[in-house]
Order: sequence, then structure tokens, then C-alpha cells
Amino acid sequence: MSATVEIPGGIAANRASSGLQVEGEVVQRVVVDRSCRLPVLFFFAAGLAWLLLGSLFGFIASFKMHHPEFLADWSWLTWGRVRVAHLNMVAYGWASQAGIGVGIWLMSRLCRAPLRAPGLTLVAGLFWNLGVTIGVAGILAGHSQSIEWLEFPKYATPLLFVAYALVGIWAVLMFVNRRPGHVYVSQWYLFAAFLWFPWLYGTANVIMQAFPLKGVTYGAVNWWFAHNVLGLWFTPIGLAAAYYMIPKVIGRPVHSYYLSALGFWSLALFYSWNGMHHLIGGPFPIWLITASVVASFMMLIPVLTVAINHHMTMRGHFGRLAESPTLRFTVFGAMIYTLVSLQGVSMAIPAWNKITHFTHYTVGHAHLGMYGFFSMIMFGSMYYIVPRLVGCEWRSPTLIKWHFWLSAYGIILMVLALSVGGFLQGAYLLDPATPFEYVVKSTMLFLQSRSVSGVAIASAHLIFGFHFALMLLRLGRTGGEATTFLSREVRS
Amino acid sequence: MTLPILLIVLVGFGLAASAVAALYWAARNGQLQDFERGAQSIFDEGEPVGVPTDRVFRRRTRKPKSA
Amino acid sequence: MNSLPRLFIGIFVVFLFAWGGLVAMPYLQLGGLQPQVDEDGNQFPPQRDSLAEYGAEVYAANGCMYCHSQQIRPEYAGSDLERGWGARRTVPRDYVNDRPVFLGTMRTGPDLTNIGKRQPSALWHHQHLFAPRAMAGDWSIMPAYRFLYKVQKVKGTPHPDGFTVPGDPSVPEGYEIVPTKEAKALVAYLISLDRSYSLKEAPVD
Repeated sequence: MSATVEIPGGIAANRASSGLQVEGEVVQRVVVDRSCRLPVLFFFAAGLAWLLLGSLFGFIASFKMHHPEFLADWSWLTWGRVRVAHLNMVAYGWASQAGIGVGIWLMSRLCRAPLRAPGLTLVAGLFWNLGVTIGVAGILAGHSQSIEWLEFPKYATPLLFVAYALVGIWAVLMFVNRRPGHVYVSQWYLFAAFLWFPWLYGTANVIMQAFPLKGVTYGAVNWWFAHNVLGLWFTPIGLAAAYYMIPKVIGRPVHSYYLSALGFWSLALFYSWNGMHHLIGGPFPIWLITASVVASFMMLIPVLTVAINHHMTMRGHFGRLAESPTLRFTVFGAMIYTLVSLQGVSMAIPAWNKITHFTHYTVGHAHLGMYGFFSMIMFGSMYYIVPRLVGCEWRSPTLIKWHFWLSAYGIILMVLALSVGGFLQGAYLLDPATPFEYVVKSTMLFLQSRSVSGVAIASAHLIFGFHFALMLLRLGRTGGEATTFLSREVRS
Repeated sequence: MTLPILLIVLVGFGLAASAVAALYWAARNGQLQDFERGAQSIFDEGEPVGVPTDRVFRRRTRKPKSA
Repeated sequence: MNSLPRLFIGIFVVFLFAWGGLVAMPYLQLGGLQPQVDEDGNQFPPQRDSLAEYGAEVYAANGCMYCHSQQIRPEYAGSDLERGWGARRTVPRDYVNDRPVFLGTMRTGPDLTNIGKRQPSALWHHQHLFAPRAMAGDWSIMPAYRFLYKVQKVKGTPHPDGFTVPGDPSVPEGYEIVPTKEAKALVAYLISLDRSYSLKEAPVD
């Protein structure tokens, strides 16, 4: 039987010549993937560029901590500006854009509808990168506001807010125009994240710039914002990706959808209250700090829920980790999510906080979360998504393996170094008889180890960036097991 | 000093009560029954349950695949 | 969970709830705090002069907060007091004049809440900012802020603000170091950091 199936977008598939059953669902999936190509690749490419630059600045900041005279003569490279630039580059330049790229593709797939208003997403992307560029330049020029996670000077923030707002609007558009059917757990997380972040960013900036806010309330707003960037922006996107990629790659549905719902709402309710645990012992009313400590403990509920869900889904299928890079990165990230969250709960215990507060231990925790959890899951999703957008396979499995192991060993070394070093630092700080000189000296070996780990991690990024560029240039493999579509005729 | 605390305790109770009410309504209204279908919704005929969708790394010897 | 409006409401409500507790309530409780005024009309904390206020901007611009905290924890939360970093813990009123607040989350370097009391010498601060290792010791990893200073040959009479750092070989004989306005402002700010006065809610015994 010969039939030509007309698909929106002008791609025609001829059943007789291909000899394959081209199902409506499959073609629809291809059409949806194709509609995402330009915006998603834009966000991935821009994100990777910031990752490379951010890794470089991270290494410079790390090196300066044990070699303070390194590049010490230029004001724009002083440690206090390089470290701030690094954070903003990797958080807003890399992580957020990777998250948006993955989120856009996931939303389109799950709404089973081609990407709507691609122009909107591209405008958002342009504003985003403009905002980050101007913001980072401002920081290096000496206009940092020294508000953690909100250091961008005032002239950069409106650009970023416009970008975030456009993404939020796009998410609503997609969601409203989705094909009828079930709303998958990843969609809840993405929808929530794409709305929470502009609300968060807008509210924080309005309060801080427009209100007569002074004193410690500034600190409260600061850490309400900063912690919620982690809990209501990055975490939901990372979990959305994991909830899709793990079942999709192994071909098995999530173990308990009911647990997914419980995990989502308990995360939303409790995570948003955690912020003040960054200020334990600080000049705040004790009820405020206590509320955040309690909320930090309550996080055990969503975290263990997600851990159980993912583990039970993976059970019996861990062998697939040898086959799929996406699964490797994603499962690594999901396990780290459990670990870093449990670590976070422990850090909120006042007896432990007494030791680790103000130390490198906290920096280790932050990197474990942002890199070990979020970035690794983003890498995994990117490895899945990019071939489906460009129409060819990743060229070199060897490069992927190098990326994985350099990143994995790199982050493990970094976190071990900073955790052990930070704990020692804290223990010495806690002993009033230990002179400050000794506290600093005790951290040297660990800070040097962190720089070594930074070399590994930056190398991993160079490898990935190169490999990604090959894909953009359509220099991937065209043969091999289909990760994309079924027949050549379906390609446009 | 006590008024804000009282307020927040009341609001907290109110929210907890509404959460319980929402959960009760959801259970009553069949919102929690369709979970099986929800979990399956990411699969389709082209990529059905039981078929992995990402096998970039090849094993040296092909073992019979058990779904 | 298939309904957009319900999802939206749920997402919005949890957001509002946390905002209410962590932002609105503290503001209601603490937003109206004013400095304490004694019988002579002295304000605690005292208002900074304009040079020191500018110094706070220099402090922000150069990210000093990312190595130095400005909060003294009570005895049950740490050993800040026993270390001699303050006479008492800091309380919200201490920060009433600060915008933004440099509470800090790292102690790569010592806490600076009372650095103005521990080290009231402007000359020491200038020397330390220019050449940290010459002043504190080789173990110090503090960056050098030489870009806040001008090194120039002494022409006839030395500059009134000029100084040298004994023990720093980078500046040759016959040269002096002159602070820029930013450096003077930063040091004025550092010297203003002194929370050793008593407050009703936090007396110094």
C-alpha cells in the first residue's frame, strides 16, 4: 500500500519507498523536535560559551586563593571581582540557559505540540545574553552590588528580567496550547520553575531597589532570593529532566507517579522556606532562623521521595548505564541530588553548622549541587536532545566518555577537598586558641587540590564544547543506531 | 513582636488546613487515580515501553536484551 | 494535576507563603528599627560620614564581603566572642544604617565587625591593603590592592598622605605610595566598623 503522509511543515514521508511503518505519533515527535531546533541550540551554544568562560574564571579565582600574587596588578581581575563574575557566569550564563534549552525541548515534547512563538524564545535569549554580558562586564569594572547571587549592577537587571518574563510567558503559552492528555510530572516542575523565577527575580529586585530597605532585612530578602534560585529554579528543571530522561532512556515508566506528585508539592512548600539557614547564628530573630532550619529538615520528604522513585525506576536496569551517556550523566546527577540534599539537611543542624558555617565546606556543597547535580543532568539531557535536533549522532563516544569521567572525578575531587579542608578550617576556627594564621595555612593543600580539580573540569568542558561545535556543523555520524528518526525520507 | 508570630502561626494553620482539604478534594474527585496513565504518557508507538532509546555506547559482545 | 488554573494557583500560593514568612514578616518586625539614642544625643550605631559611605561602595565593588564576614555570633552558635572578634554578639539594630548589609558567608579572612576597634590605625590599613603579606605575614592569602594606590617618586617634600611599607621590596627607595580617593574611603569605612557600644537589647558587660 503506497501513501504519502502530509505532515505540517512540508515534510512528506512515502510509506512504500521507506518500507517502514511511519506512525502519526512518531512523525509528530520528529516535527516537535524540529520546531525546537533554533531556540534550543541557541540556548545550548550560548550556555556552553558561558560555561567555558565561567570555568576559566573559576580556575583563576581558585588559583589566586593559594597564589594571591597571580594576576594581582589589574583591578578588574582582583579576586573579589573574579569570584563574583565566575558565579554569575556559571549560574546565569551557563546553568540557566542550559536549563531553558532543556526546558523548552521538554515542554514541547510533553505538550506534544511544536514550539510556539520561537521568536519569543529567541528574543528572550538575546536579552538574556546581553544582560549577562553587560552584568559581568559591570562586575569586572567594579560595579558589583555585593548582594550574593544578585551582584549584577542595576543597569543589567532590567534586561535579565525582560528575558525571564518572556520565558515565563512562553511557558504559559505552550502549556495552554498543549495537546489534550496527561500532564506529565516534568511539566509541573518546568511550568512552576518558569513562573517562579521571574517572580523571584522581579520581587527581589523591586524590594531591594525600590523600597527603603535597610539593615538585616536586606539579608533576609537576599537569602530568600538566593536559596530559591536553587530550590525553585534549578532544582525543578534538573528534576524535570531526570524524571523524563531516566524512564525514556531505559524504556520503563516512573516507578510511582503518586510519589512524583508528593515530591513536587512538598518541594514547593518546604524548599521556599529554607533561605535563612545561610544565616544561622546571625543577627536575626530566632523564629526566622528556626523556621528555615525546620524547613530544611522537612526537605527530607521530597528528597527521599525522589530518591526512592528514581532508584525503583532504575532497579534491574543499571546495566544500561554502560550504553547510554544520557543515563550516566543523569543518574549520576540524580544520586548527587540525594547526597547534596542530605548534606544540606545536615548543615542546617546547629551543632554541625557551628563548625562548617563560613568555611570552604559550604563552597563544596554549593558546587556539589550546581555541578554534581544540576550541570551533570544538563549534560545528560544535552547528549540526548542535540542529535534529535541536528539529525546526526555524536561523532565520538570516546570524547563523551572523557567528558563524563573528567567531570565526575573532577567534581568528586573538588568536593572532597573542600569538605575535608572546610571541616578542618571550621574546627580550627571554633577553637579560640588556634591563631587565624594556622587556620589559613591548614586550608592550603585543599585549595590547591581544588585548583587541580578545576583543571579536570575545565578540560571536560573544552572537550564537550568541541564535540558540540562538531554537531552544530553537522559533522556528527549519520549511521548507527537511530537515536532520532526512522528513515531518511522523514528528514527535511 | 508577638503579633507577627501569632499571625504567621494562624496563617500556617490555615494553609495546613487548606492543604488537607485540597488533598481530600483531590482524592474525592479522582485526581489521584490516573497515575498509571500519567507515567505512561511519555511513551508512544514509536518509542514504546520496554525499548531503550539511547544506546550510543556499544557493548563489545551483544548480549540478548532483557526488557 | 492536569488543570492549568489549579496548578497555577498552587504554585503561586506556596511562593506567596514563603515570601510572607521570610520577607514580609521580618520587614514588619524589623523594618522600623532606628538607632538607639542616648541622653547626649549620640546615635548607636553612629551614622557614617560621606567618605566612609563611599568606602562601603568600594568594599562592595571589590567583593571584600566574599572573604570577610561582618557578624558576631552568640556563644551557642560559635566561638566568635572568645576569639576576640567582638565584645558582644551583633543584633539587627547594629546594621540599621547599612544598605546593603555585608553580613558575609565566608571567613577566608577574619570577621571585620569590629576591625575599626581592633585596628584603628589608618596607616596600618593602607599598608595592609597595599602589601598584605608584608604586614600580616607570608601565610596571608589576601589579595593586594595596589591598584587603589599610586606609587610615585618623592619630589622634594613627600605627599601628606604618602607612606611606605617596611618589609615590602616592591617599592624602591625614594618612592612613596599615595592612596587614591577610593583607598582613603575604604580605610575610612573599615575604621568605622566598630560595634563595641552597648545596646539595650545587647549590653556589653
